Amino acid sequence: MKNSLNFLIEVNKLKEMPRTGWILQGAKNPETIAEHTVRMAFTAWLLGREKKLNIKKLIKLAIFHDLCEVYAGDNTPFFYYQNLEGREGEKAMLKGPRLAQKEKKKLGEKKFILEKNALLKLISPLNLNIKKDIFSSWLDFEKKFSPEGRFVREIDRIETLLQSIEYFGNKEKIAGSSWWEQTEEFVEDPFLLEFLKIIQNRFYGKRFLRNKKLENILDFIVEIGKLKRMPRLYWKLRGVKNPETIAGHIFTLMLMVLIFGREKKQLNMEKLLKMALCHEITAVYTKDTIPYDINFPKDKKELAKILEKAPYSSKDQKTKKFLKDYQEEKESIKRLFLKLPGSLESEIIQLWDEYRNRSSSESRFLAQLNVLAILLQGLLYKRREKKFSVSALWEWVFEICDDPCILALMDEMKGKL
Amino acid sequence: MTGEKKFYLTKEGLVKIEKEFNDLKILKLAKISGESPKILHSEDLNQEYLSFQEDLSFIESRLMELEHIFKNVELIKTPVKVKQNIIDLGATVTLEQKDGSINEFTLVGSLEANPAVGKISNESPVGKFLLGHKINDEIIITSPIKVLYKVKKIKYSLS
Repeated sequence: MKNSLNFLIEVNKLKEMPRTGWILQGAKNPETIAEHTVRMAFTAWLLGREKKLNIKKLIKLAIFHDLCEVYAGDNTPFFYYQNLEGREGEKAMLKGPRLAQKEKKKLGEKKFILEKNALLKLISPLNLNIKKDIFSSWLDFEKKFSPEGRFVREIDRIETLLQSIEYFGNKEKIAGSSWWEQTEEFVEDPFLLEFLKIIQNRFYGKRFLRNKKLENILDFIVEIGKLKRMPRLYWKLRGVKNPETIAGHIFTLMLMVLIFGREKKQLNMEKLLKMALCHEITAVYTKDTIPYDINFPKDKKELAKILEKAPYSSKDQKTKKFLKDYQEEKESIKRLFLKLPGSLESEIIQLWDEYRNRSSSESRFLAQLNVLAILLQGLLYKRREKKFSVSALWEWVFEICDDPCILALMDEMKGKL
Repeated sequence: MTGEKKFYLTKEGLVKIEKEFNDLKILKLAKISGESPKILHSEDLNQEYLSFQEDLSFIESRLMELEHIFKNVELIKTPVKVKQNIIDLGATVTLEQKDGSINEFTLVGSLEANPAVGKISNESPVGKFLLGHKINDEIIITSPIKVLYKVKKIKYSLS
């Protein structure tokens, strides 16, 4: 338990590490490694189901694939280049790396060893089962052993490509061709190649053969991207500098599911993972909410003081707030899923509804892990800033958590942080 | 049966899972026989629920889970009048903090807990600490922060 907590604290750094490629190319407020991972997990799920791949495995590979970067750093293909400064460097980055085959192989091996050692260092304190799972998943992703490994590797490129279009647009002079070049070198799955054509239709005005289903999935993936840019409201109102985003929070929760959910043999892991991905999905339209039913005072200091305490209210007030939020979120859901394939829409709505109403074992477990993820983040902010109060978070945990595994983790957090 | 976990449910909660159990049995039958019984078209089951339940193995594992709950269920009942001044399962408790702010919960079993609507589990730290206390009692949870609750009111209103 203690080692799992230490691991979570370390990987939490990925929520504060912007992706190197975006920094190099001057993107404003670039996404973090954790945020990229979350949309990649979504994309792998939504597209992987069309190919009837193992969804649990796809999501797991996506979540684990960049953990090594906690210590290895985020190395772009420009890892190959020695000097990227000045105008020559800028020009070089607009195109993909131009190197001889032999050199690419040598540097690729160097990168592999660097990342492998970093990952082994990161996971070394964990128990054997988790360690094996993370390492074998990463290896599968790197070496493309399984169909899921190959698929997620290609999804990684596609999600990055999509993000590059969202940052830099579609004009080659500004965006360069490197993202497309790298994607087209990498992606070979015919289904994903078709998806790339849909991206070109959407963003480049091309007129390749239309596929309504894939177009709608693309639209949904683009919408989900908003979660990468939405700071969590509670932290923002508490005055936290550079607070985690909703996508960042989902990243922590997914990892907690993979580590602690495996002990709960009676729970459906695939369902837990999907539910974790979807639990805040309505924030795309409703924005993030907090469990306080108050008129926010204009004075920020006064507001921060209110939020330092747990939200106290009568049962009636709690129920009214719950129903109001639930209705608004349900409206948001209808908009978000309007165009998704029927069975996928039903599945996601069902997952979200179960979570909101705590109507299944998975939803009850996940709700408790969720509040622990929030507490963990709060404790890490407190490490940064000693005066940051976490009393309200502890009170939430005391009210919400009753699962023995969760209570054990809570006790570990009491001791450690 | 010793050592088996007990599942505490209100009457309303039990009725809800009994209905879920019956609906799932019908759905399972329909899936196996390939038919679509009329009940599946009623307003009680919405289409979203049906689509998701398509996975037969999910249905079976959920049925097993519910059967296990039924075997180990204990109904939450209103205690006799002389004991209604003590916090037990089913009690709606009003707590007061030092600054006068009021918080209110009903204590239920873990299956029905949903703090967002004021239902907390008897197995949560707050739930555990509240059990057995009376009006004006002060309850302190001290680790790792000090949270002080004063019991202002205890009410039982289960049907």
